[in-house]
Amino acid sequence: MTALGPHTEELLDAYRNELPQLEQLAEQASDLLQAALREQNIQLNTFERRIKTEESLAGKLEKKGYKYKTLNDVTDVVGIRVVTYYTDDVDKVAVIAKNIFDIDWKNSVDKRKHQLNSFGYLSLHYICYLKKGPLRNIPFEIQMRTALQHVWSAIEHDIGYKGAVKLPPEFVRQFSRLAGMLEMADDEFSRLRTTMTEYRRQVQSLVKSGHFNEVSLSTESFRQYLELKPFERLNQRIAAVNQAEIFPAPMMQFLPILEEFRFTNLGDVQQFLEEDSDDAYQLALSQLAITDLDILSESVGLQNLCLVHVLKQGGGLYGIKAVYDVINGEQDSNAALAENILRQAQQLPFMHKL
Amino acid sequence: MKTSFEEKDGKYIMHFEGRLDTASSVQTEQEMKVLHDCEGHDIILDCEKLDYISSSGLRLFLTLLKVAKSKGSKVCVASMNDNLRQVFAMTGFTHLFEFV
Repeated sequence: MTALGPHTEELLDAYRNELPQLEQLAEQASDLLQAALREQNIQLNTFERRIKTEESLAGKLEKKGYKYKTLNDVTDVVGIRVVTYYTDDVDKVAVIAKNIFDIDWKNSVDKRKHQLNSFGYLSLHYICYLKKGPLRNIPFEIQMRTALQHVWSAIEHDIGYKGAVKLPPEFVRQFSRLAGMLEMADDEFSRLRTTMTEYRRQVQSLVKSGHFNEVSLSTESFRQYLELKPFERLNQRIAAVNQAEIFPAPMMQFLPILEEFRFTNLGDVQQFLEEDSDDAYQLALSQLAITDLDILSESVGLQNLCLVHVLKQGGGLYGIKAVYDVINGEQDSNAALAENILRQAQQLPFMHKL
Repeated sequence: MKTSFEEKDGKYIMHFEGRLDTASSVQTEQEMKVLHDCEGHDIILDCEKLDYISSSGLRLFLTLLKVAKSKGSKVCVASMNDNLRQVFAMTGFTHLFEFV
């Protein structure tokens, strides 16, 4: 290593002396920002903080030491990086940072906007200060970027194009195309999130208002429908047979079965519930009444509804086994379960009306 | 009702033999407690020699499932006979467990 200039040595001495305060600053600033982000429920890909190493600081000072009179003029000795999933969230993080810290606007850059004519896909950097306390005069930097911007930055660093004096135009073009593609992808992900949120709101409102026929059957709509506990009445009726307790259980795995029944909207599911509940109860009763089983899964009503529907559609043994194959996963023992159900069902009135 | 416990290839295995009914469930509950400390271990409940399971037995299995899930462990029910499978099926609990 070559000898460092006296000014660099002086700033490095200051760095060594101030290291405990710098660490304290990094911790305090991170805690404040993380708490505020949590409060706003912003999902992050990464949150990290770092203190510039002495080696890295020395390198920077050797290159541009003339720019810095004091250590506080080096504004990125303490750094925080916030990586979001969505580009909208970068703006939200920025607003939050503005609220909780003082920003040095002269030295803060929105590189997203300042690099319009060159390639690259850059992030938003704020130089900040704590609003109060003994550390309020030491600057720190917050970098805010999306996960894709982060990936760009990592690859860019790996390729090392920044060091090149002049790149051939075809490489510049390749970089620009990739940067454009990532920017478009970021925008599209944000747009998709907005659209999905809007869709969820619509589904929620239609489901709550009982307009089931207007809601297509999907993972989202079925989840919303289950929140209304549509099978609770049937479950309670079945549970009454042995005064059983009902144990909570997931029911989303029944969705593929309902789709297999060619139900296209929640109205179809509601109709199936209304039309087949009595027979589903009879089928459950035929199995449970001869036992003293007093604990049942929350899915027991829906399971019996599906079995009844298959039987009414003439699905027979094969159809019942197919239902069990979806619920339990394909296994040989499902055939025995299906045979048992068919035997029980044959004693029930609905089988004789077919 | 008898149980025995072993650890094999990083998995916790409990073998059940006899009738897991209300009368035997208190002692079995105690014996199954060893499985609750399952962080980092999947669990196999070997039911090859289990002849009967009552609601009390189901509750023990469901309690274990809840604990294991919270610790990131899987619970697998092995070699269960058809009568016991019927009990799980008619109560609607089959899809909560993995059967092998």
